[in-house]
Amino acid sequence: MHRPPAWRDVLLRVAVAVAIAVLLVVLVLPLIALVARLSPLALLRHLGDHDVVAALRLSIATTAIATVAVIVLGLPTAWLLSSVEFRGKAVLRALIELPLVLPPTVAGLGLLLAFGRAGLAGKVLHAAGIALPFTTLAVIVAQIFVATPFFVSAATAGLAAVDQGYLDAAAALRATPAYRFAHVMLPLALPSIVAGAIMSWARALGEFGATITFAGNLAGRTETMPLAVYTAMQTDLDAAVALAVLLVVFAFALLLGLRAAPWAVSIGGGRARRQRH
Amino acid sequence: MLAANVTKRRDGFALDAAFEVGRGEALAVIGESGAGKTTLLRLLAGLDMPDAGAIEIDGQPVYDLSRGIAEPAWRRPIALVTQDCLLFPHLTAFDNVAFGLRAAGIPKAAIDTRVRGALERTGAAAFAKRWPGTLSGGQRQRVALARALVLEPALLLLDEPLSAVDAGTRATLRGDLRRVLAMQHCTTVHVTHDPIDAITLGDRIAVLEAGRITQVGTRDELFRRPRSGYVATLLGINLLRGTIVRDRHRDVVRTADGDIAVSAVDVEGQVYAVVNPHDITLYRDAPEGSAQNLIRATVTEVTPQPPRGERVRVALSSRPPLVAEVTANAVAQMGITPGVELYAAFKATAVEVFA
Repeated sequence: MHRPPAWRDVLLRVAVAVAIAVLLVVLVLPLIALVARLSPLALLRHLGDHDVVAALRLSIATTAIATVAVIVLGLPTAWLLSSVEFRGKAVLRALIELPLVLPPTVAGLGLLLAFGRAGLAGKVLHAAGIALPFTTLAVIVAQIFVATPFFVSAATAGLAAVDQGYLDAAAALRATPAYRFAHVMLPLALPSIVAGAIMSWARALGEFGATITFAGNLAGRTETMPLAVYTAMQTDLDAAVALAVLLVVFAFALLLGLRAAPWAVSIGGGRARRQRH
Repeated sequence: MLAANVTKRRDGFALDAAFEVGRGEALAVIGESGAGKTTLLRLLAGLDMPDAGAIEIDGQPVYDLSRGIAEPAWRRPIALVTQDCLLFPHLTAFDNVAFGLRAAGIPKAAIDTRVRGALERTGAAAFAKRWPGTLSGGQRQRVALARALVLEPALLLLDEPLSAVDAGTRATLRGDLRRVLAMQHCTTVHVTHDPIDAITLGDRIAVLEAGRITQVGTRDELFRRPRSGYVATLLGINLLRGTIVRDRHRDVVRTADGDIAVSAVDVEGQVYAVVNPHDITLYRDAPEGSAQNLIRATVTEVTPQPPRGERVRVALSSRPPLVAEVTANAVAQMGITPGVELYAAFKATAVEVFA
């Protein structure tokens, strides 16, 4: 038996520990700095501000609507990508995933040129008496734009992981394609779909660049939490910190729920897999 | 009633089969893995479409290339039970059984009664409220059977429903399956690689070899006149015909060549008794103790089995004549060669009896 020298083992362990430590400093230290800045009392005082409450309310309302829209609009696409073979599938996938990597300001600019007063679709909307930019609706559209890929990717993966055997079994039990989707595919892919919805929601909640470009920064109408943080930073750093802490806590709770909930273990279609015996 | 004539080609393999199954009849299709059994069943179910041919169920065409008919599975009056059950893991046993009725839009009130009835018949009523993940293999198969039978299908398709069940439960489940099918009286196609399944559950048996049906007949016909060596080997089990005689102590099957002790059975009159060659043990000297059937025998033929000859078939001149399958080791140790005299022993519980 040939054993590698012990010092190599030690060296490897040290390297791993250093990498993890550095990563934690970069990721976690800013969060600690935010949370440590204000006493709980100061935090509460700032959160009671009229502007903060308005921003919070707007954020919750717009992201809730955006998330529902993402689910309703995203599910058919996820079904198509998971279940149907067609030409140009890779192109459609790439298009839907593009917002993941685009700078949000680019997204905002695109939205403005498409739905702005002189934009491609904007002219039609304008003629119909609808003005999108700088409205609450624009906030929601911007959130849908950036949040959709998170949902579609997760839902597609979940639906694709459903064992074909279950779908065949359902087909042999009088189930039409639509019935199979609603009663077999959806429930078996539910963990992935919920996970995708939560990721979308979290992303919509943090949306800044596309919103400020497309919807502007109007208190009470388009000023969501991330925008309020930005505004507050110009005048009152502590107010900005209070808002930021609130966002951090809320986002962390969402992600923790995603990972630690009882059903989270099966994210990725665990239940969708066939039981072997 | 089923009339099928189908061909299906996929790389390096071609299925080409034509056969009929009478109303209420059970056809067992026996063949090795790769012979095309599952392919055939999927074509009948409508989960795959043939390249050419026609399929008619109770006089209604569900597939006919020349007439452009190709009904998908959910529009065919069939039900399918597969080896791995495929119970939906997100539904209880009850809801699994109700699935097909709900999908077909049967009124709610009727569903409850029918589901309960089906669970009752397959012996699954006790675990109606359980989740599939908590059920044993045999219990799952009972639920899967109920899920199929509750639809009252014109054609029941069984794809090795017993092969994933452990050996102990298998015989019980096979007996129950036989009873349920007799009660339901529906046209059945049952594909299997197990000759015992085919012989005990098929009114007629079709032998599928490399995508073609090489012989169809009743079990007696196949045993009397196996048309190929393949069929003979495939069916290489002991099939005995006799009458049930109830003794004070035990039940026996009285054959022309003597009595076979069997475990308590609920059939009367003329019966078949099947003994798997695996279940027969050979002894040079009469053993002490328990095996209820001990028969004097002379070895007539010793045939090592493919692929590697680790198992050896030993044909015996005995009353009744038997074939045993033992290890090459045992053959060497006991010096089993043609002409050697020995004892064949098997338990009463190893004998499968059916009418």
